[in-house]
Amino acid sequence: MQGGHRLVDGVTYDVVQVTLLSLYVSGSATILGSLIGIPLGAAIGLKEFGGKGLLKTITYTMYGFPPVISGLFIYYVFSRAGPLGDFGILFTPTAMILAQTLLVIPLVAGITITSVTEVDRNIKNTVRSLGANDRQATFTVIKEAWVGVITAVMIGFGRAIAEVGAAYMVGGNIDGKTRVLTTAIMLETRMGHFEYAVGLGVVLLIVACGVFLFMRWLQERELL
Amino acid sequence: MKDKSPLVGIIALAIVMVLLIGAVAVHPAKQRLILATTTSTQDSGLLDHILPNFESKYDCIVDVIAVGSGQAMQIGKTGDADVLLVHSPASEKQFVKDGYGTSRTLVCYNQYVVIGPATDPAGVSQAKNATDAFNRIYQNGTEGKAIFVSRGDLSGTDTKEKSIWVKAKLNVTTFSNNWYLSTGQGMGAVLDITEQQIDKGYTLSDQATYYTRKATDIIPHLEIVYQGDPFLYNQYSVIPVNPVKWPNINATLALDFVDWITSPEIQSMIADYTVGGRELFVPNAGPGSIAENHLMISHHRAAVAIRID
Repeated sequence: MQGGHRLVDGVTYDVVQVTLLSLYVSGSATILGSLIGIPLGAAIGLKEFGGKGLLKTITYTMYGFPPVISGLFIYYVFSRAGPLGDFGILFTPTAMILAQTLLVIPLVAGITITSVTEVDRNIKNTVRSLGANDRQATFTVIKEAWVGVITAVMIGFGRAIAEVGAAYMVGGNIDGKTRVLTTAIMLETRMGHFEYAVGLGVVLLIVACGVFLFMRWLQERELL
Repeated sequence: MKDKSPLVGIIALAIVMVLLIGAVAVHPAKQRLILATTTSTQDSGLLDHILPNFESKYDCIVDVIAVGSGQAMQIGKTGDADVLLVHSPASEKQFVKDGYGTSRTLVCYNQYVVIGPATDPAGVSQAKNATDAFNRIYQNGTEGKAIFVSRGDLSGTDTKEKSIWVKAKLNVTTFSNNWYLSTGQGMGAVLDITEQQIDKGYTLSDQATYYTRKATDIIPHLEIVYQGDPFLYNQYSVIPVNPVKWPNINATLALDFVDWITSPEIQSMIADYTVGGRELFVPNAGPGSIAENHLMISHHRAAVAIRID
């Protein structure tokens, strides 16, 4: 309703803006989720402590955490009637980012656990014997597990960009503000515009493809 | 070691993200009004037809959250919307009575219609009234000759459907899911599901969603099999959320919205809105119950007149 690109005849909102918002929300959630998930996964994978097995099981269980539950949690917390309602972030992209971050963290952490565990323990021992401290040794292992860590981030992004339940619940699918590709597809389907819905689906796949090509490029290089 | 460092890539990604944030965040510092409404006003295209007028007149942006009427009122109860445009009169009156809304003003109406296959195996088109129509569906449903698809989502339409079963002295909770499908979906999706129940599917729909979907040719086998009972009248009302309960809401703009949507200019815009050559909403702006009673009476007269003809 605010002018701008009308790529498809009959679609009343700005498809370019919707696409950019999808990238912004899911990209931010992936970055936030990775910043938390990678160190968390590395810590669980490399350190020995009591309850490690239980923590791993919980992380893997959270792979199946439903987006609507994540959305419901953020909705409850940030609704004006909820404990953090004064922030006024419900029905804004920020709430969507937070909800998707909750979905990304367990995936990134879990796959990071697996990939750092797979890296030979000897590497850690070797760098330690060369005089590296604990942090340096951990960093070396993450470096060696680079391919797996990037895979973790890719899967995290895949989950974020594809989900609709949380985005719809805490974003509200507001034109020009919180409408992303998946909620727009839902709206078009509801309105009976199946051809637009399919078109938006193609846009979503192209966007995901671009991001994954970039990540593949990253994966084939070494960290530093 | 390879010569190219992925750090370059990471920096490039960071720059792209910053640009994206810029692209998204560049919004004029306009006032925002959060309108929680039912899916039928958005899906029928009515809001796209009238809202640009409000946005330019009051130099603001309207954030539309389109959900079922039940959920829309829940959003209002928690102070997460400024104004509601909904169609569930009984719950609306309770909402205002409980102090969540400051007033309830009629905006427009249309009718609920009973939708079914053109072949009409349950003979609903011969029904004398809405409860008779539902009784016929119930009879044929239990005999395996009809299927009723219900919204099952506490929306305005769902509430109306349940009230018809009550009026027909039938207990929905005892219905077998062999013939009564409670889907929890929006009206458009429910019409699609009804279409898939080949030569058996019935449902209750608001006129606007039915005609809008009919115009897209997705539901070729469905027809209106019964309409005209005054009990099937579908009133849309506007309710500003109570700023005493939620001081952060945009109360001024919410009142402007009430004045605007009930003004003669917008009322005639609502009347002029058509899909496939059909008018979808009849404007009837006015204060709560009295006008509603008048309308019910005129509906009764109209229905009686049709029968006399």
